[in-house]
Amino acid sequence: MSHSDTVPLHQSSQSDIDEIESLINASVQSGPATVLPARPPSPPRASIPVVSSSPFIQSNLPPPPPLPSPNQKVPSVPAPAPPPPPSIGASGFGPVPNTLTEPVWDTVKRDLSRIVSNLKLVVFPNPYREDPGKALRDWDLWGPFFFIVFLGLALSWSASVKKSEVFAVAFALLAAGAVILTLNVLLLGGHIIFFQSLSLLGYCLFPLDVGAVICMLKDNVMLKVIVVSVTLAWSSWAAYPFMSSAVNPRRKALALYPVFLMYVSVGFLIIAID
Amino acid sequence: MDLNPHAGENYAHPKTCLFHVIFKAAALAFYILFALFISNFVIIFVVTVLLAALDFWVVKNVSGRILVGLRWWNEINDLGESVWKFESLDQESLARMNKKDSWLFWWTLYLTAAAWIVLAIFSLIRLQADYLLVIGVCLTLSIANIVGFTKCRKDAKQKIQQFASQTIAAQVSSTIQSAIFSAV
Repeated sequence: MSHSDTVPLHQSSQSDIDEIESLINASVQSGPATVLPARPPSPPRASIPVVSSSPFIQSNLPPPPPLPSPNQKVPSVPAPAPPPPPSIGASGFGPVPNTLTEPVWDTVKRDLSRIVSNLKLVVFPNPYREDPGKALRDWDLWGPFFFIVFLGLALSWSASVKKSEVFAVAFALLAAGAVILTLNVLLLGGHIIFFQSLSLLGYCLFPLDVGAVICMLKDNVMLKVIVVSVTLAWSSWAAYPFMSSAVNPRRKALALYPVFLMYVSVGFLIIAID
Repeated sequence: MDLNPHAGENYAHPKTCLFHVIFKAAALAFYILFALFISNFVIIFVVTVLLAALDFWVVKNVSGRILVGLRWWNEINDLGESVWKFESLDQESLARMNKKDSWLFWWTLYLTAAAWIVLAIFSLIRLQADYLLVIGVCLTLSIANIVGFTKCRKDAKQKIQQFASQTIAAQVSSTIQSAIFSAV
């Protein structure tokens, strides 16, 4: 408030100036308090502690104080400071993000532990599983890649003739099968993410891999049938919760039947190879 | 992006550049040599695809970070939606990146994809479906990296622009505020 005015101000202009001042004071006071919110850390997973890969960085600089919100009497300058874009990735604000400068060994360890935790989450029986539909939130395709190749190799090893064709057929069948099954769920109006589903179907091959190795070592037909049935049931059981939660309950069977069919055909391949 | 590397500058991270190139070259070389001379498809498939997958991982996680300061990945948020995340270094660090490094990075990415496409055409002509499978996998991995990093680079430029305009807006508003203060 200037005290050097000799001319008394008009009633309305005095109140305008008061309003502007009070708004400015209010914004200056509340300015430093509005620090950029950090993204809440993702919920802890039920397994191996993974190095947090949050890309969000706390800004070191306080943001500019938000401008006064529009008021009927005050024509305000536009808009409060816009919320920061989620993956702000340091456009000049503060320290360089964690995952960009981490040592290579950390990245390797993080990916390896992710594979193991995904495997545990999907394949092994866990009655305390929180929400089967949320399995494989951190999908990755390394696990499926290794399992498919391993199954192809096991089948190819057991075959006495046409080894290359067996491998190629097994790989193509599994890879194309996973893609088509995912498309099937999407076309049925289900809600899944393409890569998440590919990842899941690949991880569920783990029991069949085990079965294939056992059948490779022992050539008894009866044993093969038993082993394959058990591992087939295990694989289907592992894939069931995720697939069924992704579709409309009336279409569950339509989504699950092709998955079962694919695993059955792989099982037949394992039994019939000699 | 010009065709010639900047003369007079040396590679800032020679080991990373080496790894960036070596897996790509190994996958291509192995495929070409063995497909010509050895008829064991299984070995060719497994080794080539393994080398291509390793190269994908190295480019995405190591050389992308170190040579050009970019990183991309996909996450699934709490609502179950798939979100592509891009990360980049801040502007000063990006400007300080070695030009030769980034030239090597981008050109080897493009050249590898082109080489796989050429090999795919050869395979098509010779009607070898199983070799086409190998090439298909390797090509998919190369293209995924190219698309990912290109999107990431665009995103980084956009963020820099956004930050610049934000700073200007902040400056303008603080100037106005100080003007109002001093006027009172």
